[in-house]
Amino acid sequence: MNIEMEKVTVRYGLRKALKGVSHTFEEGKIHVLLGPNGCGKTTLLKKIVDRYHASGELAYVPQEVYGNVALTVFDTVALGRYDSSKFFAGVSDEDRALVQKAIDEMEMTGMEERIFDTLSGGEKQRVMIARALAQDAPWTLLDEPSSSLDVRHSMLTMNKIRELKSRGGKSFILVLHDINMASSIGDEFVLMKDGQIMYETERLSADMLGKVFDTEFGEGSSSEGHSLFYTV
Amino acid sequence: MSNPGNMTDKEKTSAPQAAHSGARALRGDAFYPKLLAAAVLLFLAAAVACCLGSSSIPFHKVVSYFIGKTESLSSSEILIIGRIRLPRTITSLLVGGALASVGCIMQGVFRNPMADPSVLGISSGSALGAAIMIVLGFNGVIIGTGFTGAYIGAIAGALVTWLAVFYIARSSGEYDTTSTLIAGIAISSIMSALITVLMTLHHESMERIYMWMLGTFSSATVQKTWVLFAVVGVLVPVLVLIAPRIDVLKLGREAALSLGVNQSRTLGIVLCISSVLLAFCVANSGIIGFVGLIIPHIVEYFRIHRMRRKLIMSFMTGAIFMVVCDCIAKTVVSPGEMAIGAMTSLIGAPYFLILLIKSRVTAGRKGIR
Repeated sequence: MNIEMEKVTVRYGLRKALKGVSHTFEEGKIHVLLGPNGCGKTTLLKKIVDRYHASGELAYVPQEVYGNVALTVFDTVALGRYDSSKFFAGVSDEDRALVQKAIDEMEMTGMEERIFDTLSGGEKQRVMIARALAQDAPWTLLDEPSSSLDVRHSMLTMNKIRELKSRGGKSFILVLHDINMASSIGDEFVLMKDGQIMYETERLSADMLGKVFDTEFGEGSSSEGHSLFYTV
Repeated sequence: MSNPGNMTDKEKTSAPQAAHSGARALRGDAFYPKLLAAAVLLFLAAAVACCLGSSSIPFHKVVSYFIGKTESLSSSEILIIGRIRLPRTITSLLVGGALASVGCIMQGVFRNPMADPSVLGISSGSALGAAIMIVLGFNGVIIGTGFTGAYIGAIAGALVTWLAVFYIARSSGEYDTTSTLIAGIAISSIMSALITVLMTLHHESMERIYMWMLGTFSSATVQKTWVLFAVVGVLVPVLVLIAPRIDVLKLGREAALSLGVNQSRTLGIVLCISSVLLAFCVANSGIIGFVGLIIPHIVEYFRIHRMRRKLIMSFMTGAIFMVVCDCIAKTVVSPGEMAIGAMTSLIGAPYFLILLIKSRVTAGRKGIR
């Protein structure tokens, strides 16, 4: 399933958060949304959920979880296996195995009985990613998944996303702030500014980034051949 | 980089906790043993409640009545238990359970540990309805219905308030938790203010209104108990049925939506059911604070976290708590009665504070929380 958004406009009060955005996200790829704060990246993700949630093919990882979640780590991740059509279905053995696998993959093994609220910001984020992994949906939308993660766990997450794409044929839409991380993982980039899409590209350039972020960028390349960007 | 043998500092510190949490087979909250214990306690509390009163009936006779062996009981004892004590005990049990369940589900749905049944303004609206009926002189039993004017006024008041909250909170097209909460609090204060106005204008009814609001189970009748039983018996299981959705909602609106749970719809259903439950609670026993707020927190100390289990356990705990409080309320200043609302706070709050301090001390020792 491709995700097609056509002329999406969203208003918050008088302000337009999205001004007629159209874009097709092709399946089997990692799409990265880039752009300055408040340019409408999160709003676009939320609109995709609003539009496509009924397909049952989306998993969503929010930037942050608000309010108290007094559930154990295991039970929180197990919410990814929730089936709204069954009122009495417990967690089956198969689900349990998927949940445990997701927990292990996010290196949360041994913390299953901890209460979510008592975790650190980065640990909470790992639980939320594990929760989405357990959902095992064709599309996963992640809003700044690495914002609170340490280097090791952001690498772990990105590697997991790459692996799920190449081996499992899964598709992803990521909102990222780390341009170099974006450039190394993304297949397609959507650069946004002021509620509009400025560039749709398969390869970032210092020139595009400069225009989107109003900052001067220099460009180099890593030993693997990815572009590396630095601010000047 | 993904070397499984390479442990980070974080993992080293969490290793003892892994050992503490034990083997996977031991995982769980031992819910069923706890539920069984609660059921036994509830039965005992209810039996004791039927013993106590202006003339005390021995415990074994009450138990014989419960199991249907009434030969050893005098006809007056059968009458006292069947017509007075049992309706009162069951009413307190149902009201306590319903208030705690509503509190539990509100805290979950608003993702706010301070939420309780009173935040929606339903209780105040209910009290206003009752107060209006008392002022208008419909305090006695309304002929043909078997219910007092205050009872009917309370239910009408609650439903009117619910419609107001419903309308205001939905004005943006979708329920959201914050505007519902704020609308409820605003409406609640309007209702309370109107009660004050009413009491000031009608001095002669002031005491009656005030006493009604303080709450008692002494007015329980067989008929009212059956009605309450039907309402609670249908609506609390519905809450239990939808409870897992409230866990899913904790992930945020979008993540929940991707799992097929609509925040606005769930909130609407929960508000509707809670309002009807509260209407009947207040109509039966006046305004009883504290139970809805604190019982769900006490249940959390029992290490029960998933909403469905927490809700069931809140019902049981709230029921036991209310039956015990009513026992004390009707005996402590005998032959008079203490207001039940005062008893729930006087007994519940210290118990809760002890739990709070104990958990802080253990948390301090273990270095968590």
